[in-house]
Amino acid sequence: MKQRELLALFALGLILLGLPLAVLGYQYWLRPALSPNRIIDIAARVPEQAGFAPDAIRVAVGETVTLRFASMDVTHGVAIGPGLGVDLGPIDPGQVKEITLSFDHPGIYTYYCTTWCSPDHWRMRGTIQVSDPANPDVVPAAQPDRVIEALIAEGIDIDAAHTPPAEHADISILAFQPSAQRGELVIAGGLDVPAELRDPVWRQSHTPAQALELLTGQNPATSERDRLDAIAYLWTQDTADEALATGKRFYNQNCAACHGQSGGGDGPAAATTAEEPVAFSDPGYMFERRSDVLYAKIRRGGMGTGMPNFGTLFTPEETWALVRYLWTLTFGTPPRTHTG
Amino acid sequence: MTRHVTRPRLIAASFGLLALVIFAVPPGSATPPVERRVEIDATQFEFAPGRIVVNRGDHVTIHLTASDVVHGFYLDGYGFEQRVEPGVAQELAFVADRAGKFRYRCAVPCGPLHPFMIGELVVNANTPYWRAIGVVFSAAAGMLIFLWQAGKTESLEENTHETQPRF
Repeated sequence: MKQRELLALFALGLILLGLPLAVLGYQYWLRPALSPNRIIDIAARVPEQAGFAPDAIRVAVGETVTLRFASMDVTHGVAIGPGLGVDLGPIDPGQVKEITLSFDHPGIYTYYCTTWCSPDHWRMRGTIQVSDPANPDVVPAAQPDRVIEALIAEGIDIDAAHTPPAEHADISILAFQPSAQRGELVIAGGLDVPAELRDPVWRQSHTPAQALELLTGQNPATSERDRLDAIAYLWTQDTADEALATGKRFYNQNCAACHGQSGGGDGPAAATTAEEPVAFSDPGYMFERRSDVLYAKIRRGGMGTGMPNFGTLFTPEETWALVRYLWTLTFGTPPRTHTG
Repeated sequence: MTRHVTRPRLIAASFGLLALVIFAVPPGSATPPVERRVEIDATQFEFAPGRIVVNRGDHVTIHLTASDVVHGFYLDGYGFEQRVEPGVAQELAFVADRAGKFRYRCAVPCGPLHPFMIGELVVNANTPYWRAIGVVFSAAAGMLIFLWQAGKTESLEENTHETQPRF
């Protein structure tokens, strides 16, 4: 009897102590001991519950780390940028996704949530600081952005109010949607397009409204609709198919929740932002926008509007892809009969 | 032994045939299949609308959106599943070819009350009223006459074959 009681006590101890010890021991001792590289467990919660924990990681150049992302409440998504091309996709509660990384150069990378998960979703970010082992205390400097610097040098106010200037208020662009598809036919039909408008670099730093003025000066006899369609065609020309696909993917992951899937400014989270999200499908708005200003807004964010900054998440190329996708929301898909 | 057709069987069969004919007549007054577009919005922890009523044969397109976190849509009986992220709408198109009441439920764990996030799709059988009545009445009449005739024949047979005196 005494012996049996001891046996039962032992079994009880095994269950109460042995089981948690085995689980935690594997998690914190055995797995790290067996793994050839450092394992970092990152718990993802909605930002109201502190977002990623931990939200800052330090890695030395050349060191290999394994990041294990686990979602604790609702579905999150994880991608790491800029330029790493890491997208782990959605992570449902209870799911764990891992990625093993090593870095060649010092720099700062961001892991961020790619799925709208709460009104503060866009705060859900964490940083990976890759430092030089020789002097680990030096914080890697961010690369200056030439486009934004040029805009500042030009005296452009990136945060200027969204209302269009009065002199273009008479353009009847709101009466119909300019169509890139139709614009191609108009240009093929012999519309005289000024040389500047054919230049992608010029288009990048000018608004469609400015282009319309030039086009009207050259072709005073044509209908306004033809001219607008031609501009719609030209403004969607700088886009390769892959870039457009990248832009669309980034847009759906990061922008659609507020700006709406088709750019109507009517996403499900539009009501949560400080200022109403702009509608990219509205030609009246987009006719006054410059591509490089849109680029700057994406990278820097909009001051006080609720628009987050994405410069720490995307490479400049990815940001341009996104800007080009925005133009297709205004003007439709570019015709693919010929490129250039 | 040849199986000869008895009178009650003949009558029952003719009523059965009548029921079949009524059933086979093209459903003139039945609602013809229509295209139905239903917008369902998923939030924590409900679908809006929580109840959809369609007729059998309808082409149903469900425009699915999520407003707060990622949700899913799983339709019992039809067995399809779709994830939906906030901001990116999804479309599900199917023909409601099975009549009945089917639950649709959230397929992605979305929070504490996720298991209770349920709605229902009602697919009406889409049988016209007069046809249903015709089928029921002719079947009932056929059944009654069959029983009545069969009972008559049986008692006749009983009387004929009864040779043993009863006590």
